[in-house]
Amino acid sequence: MKFIGIVGTNARKSYNRQLLTYMQTHFQDQAEIEILELTDVPMFNESQDQTDSPVIQNFIQKITAADGVIVATPEHNHSLPSALKSLLEWLSFKAHPLDGKPVMIVGASYSVQGSSRVQLHLRQVLDAPGVGANVMPGSEFLLGRAHTAFDEQGNLKSSGTVDFLTSCFKKFMKFTKVVEAMNVPDEINYQPGTYDVTATGHNGELPMQVTLSKDRIENIQIDASTETEGIADVAFERIPKQIVDGQTLDVDAVSGASITSHGVIDGVAEAVKQAGADPDILKKRPKQTAAAKPAIKDLDTDVVVVGAGGAGLTAAAKILQSGKRVLVLEKFPAVGGNTVRAGGPMNAADPDWQRQFDAILGEKHTLKEITEIDEATIDPEYRPDFRALKDQINDYLQENTDQRGYLFDSKLLHRIQTYLGGKRRDLQGHKIYGQYDLVKELTDHALESVQWLEKIGVEFDKTQVTMPVGAIWRRGHKPMGDLGFAYIKTLKQYVTSHGGTIMTETDVTQLTTENGRVVGVQAQGVDHQELAVHAQAVILASGGFAANTKMLKQYNTYWTNIDDDIKTTNSPAMTGDGIRLATAVGADLVGMGFSQMMPVSDPDTGELFSGLQVPPQNYVMINQQGKRFVNEYGSRDQLTQAAIDNGSLFYLLADDEIKKTAYNTTQAKIDQQVEAGTLFRADTLEDLARQIKVDPDTLVKTVHDYNSYVDAGDDPEFHKNAFDLKVKVAPFYATPRKPATHHTMGGLKIDTGAHVLTAGGTAIDGLYAAGEVAGGIHAGNRLGGNSLADIFTFGRIAATSALADELAVTD
Amino acid sequence: MKLVGIVGTNAVKSTNRQLLQYMQRHFASTAELEICEIADLPAFNEPEQRDAPAAVQQLADQIEHADGVIFATPEYDHSIPAVLKSAIEWLSYTTRPLINKPVMVVGASYGSLGTSRAQAHLRQILEAPELKALVMPNVEYMLGHSLQAFDEQGDLVDQAKAQELDKDFQAFTEFVTLMQKITPQNKFFEETRQFSWSQLTAGKE
Ligand SMILES: Cc1cc2nc3c(=O)[nH]c(=O)nc-3n(C[C@H](O)[C@H](O)[C@H](O)COP(=O)(O)OP(=O)(O)OC[C@H]3O[C@@H](n4cnc5c(N)ncnc54)[C@H](O)[C@@H]3O)c2cc1C
Ligand SMILES: Cc1cc2nc3c(=O)[nH]c(=O)nc-3n(C[C@H](O)[C@H](O)[C@H](O)COP(=O)(O)O)c2cc1C
Repeated sequence: MKFIGIVGTNARKSYNRQLLTYMQTHFQDQAEIEILELTDVPMFNESQDQTDSPVIQNFIQKITAADGVIVATPEHNHSLPSALKSLLEWLSFKAHPLDGKPVMIVGASYSVQGSSRVQLHLRQVLDAPGVGANVMPGSEFLLGRAHTAFDEQGNLKSSGTVDFLTSCFKKFMKFTKVVEAMNVPDEINYQPGTYDVTATGHNGELPMQVTLSKDRIENIQIDASTETEGIADVAFERIPKQIVDGQTLDVDAVSGASITSHGVIDGVAEAVKQAGADPDILKKRPKQTAAAKPAIKDLDTDVVVVGAGGAGLTAAAKILQSGKRVLVLEKFPAVGGNTVRAGGPMNAADPDWQRQFDAILGEKHTLKEITEIDEATIDPEYRPDFRALKDQINDYLQENTDQRGYLFDSKLLHRIQTYLGGKRRDLQGHKIYGQYDLVKELTDHALESVQWLEKIGVEFDKTQVTMPVGAIWRRGHKPMGDLGFAYIKTLKQYVTSHGGTIMTETDVTQLTTENGRVVGVQAQGVDHQELAVHAQAVILASGGFAANTKMLKQYNTYWTNIDDDIKTTNSPAMTGDGIRLATAVGADLVGMGFSQMMPVSDPDTGELFSGLQVPPQNYVMINQQGKRFVNEYGSRDQLTQAAIDNGSLFYLLADDEIKKTAYNTTQAKIDQQVEAGTLFRADTLEDLARQIKVDPDTLVKTVHDYNSYVDAGDDPEFHKNAFDLKVKVAPFYATPRKPATHHTMGGLKIDTGAHVLTAGGTAIDGLYAAGEVAGGIHAGNRLGGNSLADIFTFGRIAATSALADELAVTD
Repeated sequence: MKLVGIVGTNAVKSTNRQLLQYMQRHFASTAELEICEIADLPAFNEPEQRDAPAAVQQLADQIEHADGVIFATPEYDHSIPAVLKSAIEWLSYTTRPLINKPVMVVGASYGSLGTSRAQAHLRQILEAPELKALVMPNVEYMLGHSLQAFDEQGDLVDQAKAQELDKDFQAFTEFVTLMQKITPQNKFFEETRQFSWSQLTAGKE
């Protein structure tokens, strides 16, 4: 038999260590005892998981392999030493190696009564559900007056004590055998059949069919039509496969899709229950363990792309079109990054196409306003373009004085709007605007990107031209099908069917350099194995850092405050890895202080689409005092700053009529959210006020005033630009909202060839960047729909440069 | 009255911290409650020298100068968290500021059982000869389902739980006042300060 002995203290001198050492030699003929020390065990902290550290892993592996465990504990202040407690907390947190293990407690202490109190405490702790050990009952071995108990050779002096210890140990060996028999996995018997169950997914109920034979889970079918495509589908593939392969419900959730993962697990558990078996038995069955960690693996390719979002897959496709090899490394289980979350339309001026659409109210006015801008306020590098644009607009207005006219657009209008839209000042008064050559590159080539995507297989809906939220102008090319996923689906298909390799769950951790040039990357693969990838060029397309609050706060110069617990609309993968990787090899950064927030996000999840989202003319925003605080028609950053100034949390007010204009929800969802307490509903304003803890009289007055502004068509308080409905028909609603981080405009400094630049302005050989990881274009504020234009344009450019510079391929 | 509240965990998010913050605000007119964190104390390792590291000394001083101490403890595996145990070990091993100090124990936990076992352990620990705190008897404030217990302003949602805390806190302030009258005459004070397990047994050798 093999036992692990744990010395319950980290003190240099310990009689408990001496006791274990004595047992080790004295019982060596009967069992092998390996002694483990607590010396390097870190203090348990639930906010800093170190289960994967070598120290804890050592304990986990050795305990798992052993037949039983002997804990020798001193008594500190009537209880366990903190060091021992800390170890047991680690062993009850993410891994549970003591679950079901036979454990014997012994203790040595100075006083006569020995360690009686700590032994009782330790029993209780080992019995806690997270630990789950099988502690041998009775047979308390307490060694009192330990400082007199041992002779010079470390042997116990008293033969009575030795006899008692021997009998306790013998009993423990018997106990171990009994527990072993108990731990033989429970048999499971299902009533064979196919069970229809539902599981709660991210967007609601998921219908599932689980087929069970007498003793196996045979098949799991999920109707995933309601889930967000591209984000959750990995969970639908992987979780069922792991459950069926391992015949276990102990499977890890897929990162980025944990709700869906747990939904599937719970659904199968429900089916098991309906089939008359106990799902807990399946939850206790061992995980499908990954194979042992292989040595460093070397891989060779022409170009390695970091990140399989829109920019990365575009660059990869472009490399393949030149007949070169490409390897895409993606840290998440699913490809697509933030691109799958995007609304869909991408901006590109295509005047010939846009001409077929009639102009709509206000567009001529917007154009006229542009011509009236004082040229002195336009930065010099943009002035020639500005003048040329003015001429274009004046011609257009002249041509259409007496008629409604068609939808105007030009590369110049796109360029100047990108420039004006991004011009901002930060808290220190520093001005920022898009770097001219980059903005020109983007607006000159965005349309080619649309055409290139069409060739790859992305279909656009040519029958309509859309204006993405926050875009200022109607030049959105909308893909058919599922929003941002439409691009990713097609690009992924193109890359894999043209010989490209995409490795998911492969986290790039470092760039490799040789004499100042980038020659590859190091990465960590699925099972934590180390990869060394050698390539002629590296393209960084790892996205922004809006999911990294610490980093946002570190660089922020724009917002007066960013809450520590602010939520994000982004994928949790957006932690700014590419920025860290490139600055480590000397890259320069630009515009890092500017980030974009989505003001109307869910305070708990950061999502946009919970609660009642209505058109801005029907927004009525109130703060935690029940008062309006902003022009609800303002830009995203005006709304965000006003919210921050009012303590971040605010409410969207609606009545039954405004509710009907919500574009994001259904009555069932509304009822469910009211039930869950994430949306408030009341028959009177007073009651609503009480629910959201504002003064009822204040709220009633706010609504009364607002309604009178709607009647008058004028808001003397906040000058709201446009109104539609009043707040008057019960029931009334309040949707809690908070700003969430949405986009990071700053990033790596690049030139028009997507080369990554140093502070000295020279290009780093072999290194390219495209997409949200790069900065300089959107400056202080990104227009809606411009990001997609950016990633597909600069994704292609990065590939073209890498091919020309490093692989001598010209277009 | 001056009190010290010890947050019994190193977790970034803690409902026990929230509970102390609530008490700090809610009882501001009766007592000044200073909230102490233990996350940054070194882990106790029984060094040869019985000197308090700076962070431990600072905590000890804060306790020394307070009229009473409130421990807010989570329950980890049926007992108090290791990090809180470590802080107490330091105090017992070095300057022993808890001797004769009136103590109230409160605890918040996610489940419904509250922190009953952790609180019972903590009481036994605080009664150890090298600590000898005066733990207030008969009062055991347990806040179950603590993730749902506070509203956005950080106030207790459940009125009954809020009133119970008002009562318990009132009892504690009375307990502190009462103990202040008794303890100066406590003749065991110096003895306790000198207590040592090894000396005790060595003496009997
Ligand atoms: C909810 C939402 C809606 C949006 N709507 C629009 C819109 O309508 N129009 C618009 O133009 N823009 C929109 N945006 C912005 C736009 O989606 C993003 O800016 C754009 O998709 C970024 O593309 P990318 O290729 O640079 O990065 P991403 O698509 O984010 O891809 C980066 C990839 O790199 C991976 N990665 C990161 N670090 C590593 C590493 N160390 N190793 C390996 N891989 C790594 C990530 O996992 C990710 O898959 C929206 C963004 C969000 C969050
Ligand atoms: C390692 C570990 C063990 C735990 N053991 C218990 C336990 O035995 N009993 C219990 O009620 N809660 C247990 N919990 C959950 C606690 O209820 C919860 O974390 C804590 O008491 C809430 O207090 P806090 O908000 O201040 O952290 C455990 C948590 C962890 C991380």
